[in-house]
Amino acid sequence: MSKEAQLSIAERDFILEALRENVRLDGRQPDDYRPLNISFGEEYGHVNLQLGKTNIIVRISAEVTKPREDRPFDGLFNINLELTAMGSPAWESGRTNDIEAYATNTLDRIIRHSNALDTESLCILKGVSCWSIRADVHVIDYDGNITDAACIAIMAGLQHFRRPDAVVRDGRVIVYGVEQRVPVALNITHKPLSVTFHTFNDSKHVIVDATLKEEQAAEGDLVIGINSAGDVCYLSKYAGAPADAMVIVKKTNVAWEKVKEINAAVEKVLQADLAKRAKIGMADESRAENDRLVQIE
Amino acid sequence: MVGPIASLSQLNRADGSASYKCPATGYSILGAVNAPIELPARRDALKPEEATVEVFVKPGTTTAGVGERYVEGILRSVLGKIVLGREKGFPRRGVVLTLAIVGGENVERGDSYLTILPALLHAGLLAMVSASVPLSMTFSATLLGVTKSGDIVRDPSPTAAKAAVSLHVFAVSSKNHLLLNESEGRFDFDTWELVRERALSICQGETAASADGDVSMGEGTASASLSGFIRETVEDQVYSDYAYNLDSI
Amino acid sequence: MSVPLVLLPSDEVPQDHLPTNNSNPLRLGPGLRILSQPSSKGSSHVLTATQAGLLTTDAKRNTVSLLSFPNRRYIPTVNDFVIAQIHHSSVDFFHCMVTPHTAHALLGQLSFEGASKKTRPMLKQGELVYARVQSVGVGAGAEVELTCVNPATGKADGGLGPLTGGMVFDVSTGMAARLIRASSSSAEHNDAIEGLVVLSELGKKLESLGGFEIAVGRNGKVWVDCSNAAESAVKVTVAVGRCLQETDQQNLHPHDQKKLVTKILRDMKLVS
Repeated sequence: MSKEAQLSIAERDFILEALRENVRLDGRQPDDYRPLNISFGEEYGHVNLQLGKTNIIVRISAEVTKPREDRPFDGLFNINLELTAMGSPAWESGRTNDIEAYATNTLDRIIRHSNALDTESLCILKGVSCWSIRADVHVIDYDGNITDAACIAIMAGLQHFRRPDAVVRDGRVIVYGVEQRVPVALNITHKPLSVTFHTFNDSKHVIVDATLKEEQAAEGDLVIGINSAGDVCYLSKYAGAPADAMVIVKKTNVAWEKVKEINAAVEKVLQADLAKRAKIGMADESRAENDRLVQIE
Repeated sequence: MVGPIASLSQLNRADGSASYKCPATGYSILGAVNAPIELPARRDALKPEEATVEVFVKPGTTTAGVGERYVEGILRSVLGKIVLGREKGFPRRGVVLTLAIVGGENVERGDSYLTILPALLHAGLLAMVSASVPLSMTFSATLLGVTKSGDIVRDPSPTAAKAAVSLHVFAVSSKNHLLLNESEGRFDFDTWELVRERALSICQGETAASADGDVSMGEGTASASLSGFIRETVEDQVYSDYAYNLDSI
Repeated sequence: MSVPLVLLPSDEVPQDHLPTNNSNPLRLGPGLRILSQPSSKGSSHVLTATQAGLLTTDAKRNTVSLLSFPNRRYIPTVNDFVIAQIHHSSVDFFHCMVTPHTAHALLGQLSFEGASKKTRPMLKQGELVYARVQSVGVGAGAEVELTCVNPATGKADGGLGPLTGGMVFDVSTGMAARLIRASSSSAEHNDAIEGLVVLSELGKKLESLGGFEIAVGRNGKVWVDCSNAAESAVKVTVAVGRCLQETDQQNLHPHDQKKLVTKILRDMKLVS
């Protein structure tokens, strides 16, 4: 069964009626996000994110590979989102569904196509060897708005991740273990996030960060990808009822404010985590062994 | 040695869920169970009299491959045996278990999947318990490696597992029966017998291996056994869920 | 009362935990089964758990049952009240969803109070009914049948029938069972056992606004209607829903439930 259970008439009518009074089921204002909670796991690039009851884990990983023939100077970066029955009983593990395809496409456009991760910096040796960065998104609890949640988690993960250091010596690529050389942060060019709005009652009522029930009751959606500087890198009025053009202009401003807020919140958690790691690192260093080199072909 | 960490029912959407982390091997697993539900795509394959157990293992940083399919098969057969699929509401329905590897290294292609099997088994069992799927018994499982010098190591790290001569996974039921044994590598029957005794003592906390000086003291007591750990994890959740009921007593 | 006992699957129920009243046959609740064990003196019977949970006994009714985890999926049981959603209708039946992603339950087109071929309700897809589980059938593939009348009286006892207007909120099946137990007898005493004061607290504070009406389905749904509350109907409904859901999710203690009610009513600007 690849569809969520339909909303009852009572629920749909009530959600629309309440919005006319600017009331949402959880007491939020139209432009409020649900409480956002981000934490990092033990490994670099492991992000746990809760947005209300939507719960996502992102893991970033890196491996050395051969660059594409047509882009010898570029490394690779892929976002992998696979929905399993863990997130919602409506999703069948191992089968793609609409949400998966739609969310992957949106994330690709906002993060990859806007070159948020500088792929040129992933090149190790032209045409021979480069880093391939992979972001795996695990949606473990689904209550709407996976695009925004995944986008925040991936960006936080990319900023948190450290790849092993690699150098080219005499035409050979040497990758240093994490114990041998301080691992390297990725080169992030800008921090775009997606902000998803849903429209109701002939686009008279527009809300941000809809829950699953609100999404089901909505007549249309609007996704804005924007960074802290206010540069719009993605805009999609994908489907549903037509929306007033002025709504889009107005909501772009709201989106910009939200992105600035969220990026600041992420930055805070990130700095706290790095400070904690630095403390542990100092303790470790005092009993570190001598450097040893590991060579790979 | 640092013991495992586990908790129950942390997810909202799934009917039951559990997390299990084994610090020694570094693996951290999240399990979710939806049951009993319809499996429309497999209507023809369903057994009419009982429930069908489906298992899906999702690796942390790669796409699922043959290794995942292999452990899924083991998990399906072990858990399928203990699920009482004829209880009310379950015949012809599905018990869908999803396990995500959310922490620890990837199992590289060609490496042994036995290292992660006990953690997957425990997370799967606890998620089933959390979803109140009727079960005939519970179990606990352990991984043991035999080194070149013949020492038996409990929960070897992925690196230690690679260096081991043989690897063994045992699952022992709450009724003290051997439920599962997967062994690989080179070993003789005497070694296997020693490993089995050690596994029994780890899982059930028996003092069967008292003649063997290797067994550390902690494992001999019931509370330090893995089955004791599973029991405590479940009890903790029941006590917290029914705090309102227990306070009034 | 004896010490609370948590059982895991395959654990035996100790003899001293069974009710001692022998006048009625012992009744087993969900999560327990009887096994016969061959022994040297012929076979003996033992009660074992099939789920994990807290063992509870009722000496009056001579029952023993296991309270399992509250977030579990609902499995239809005869006589339970449920809130079902119409999915589609056929000649004789409405096909209803009781829990998502399971087979539809059947509700007879004439299983309503005073319904005849001409007066039966015409329910559309997505409409809700408050119904009782009439039968769950036996064997594999058995269908669950619902009814909106009490077969003994032919009346819609306990508010059975279509639910119009209002809003449904999802709660855990454990919370739904608690709400039903707490309201089955209105005595304060019962509230204390279930540790639920949230409803009576809401009732007291919202009385002046017109009060509210609720129906609880064992399948984890609570229908709330405040059509008496006039212009504040929407806010009262949302407030009741939020209080119930937060009490459920955070497993709040009675004094925290009172605090929650005060906080949410103030938050919704319903009381100053």
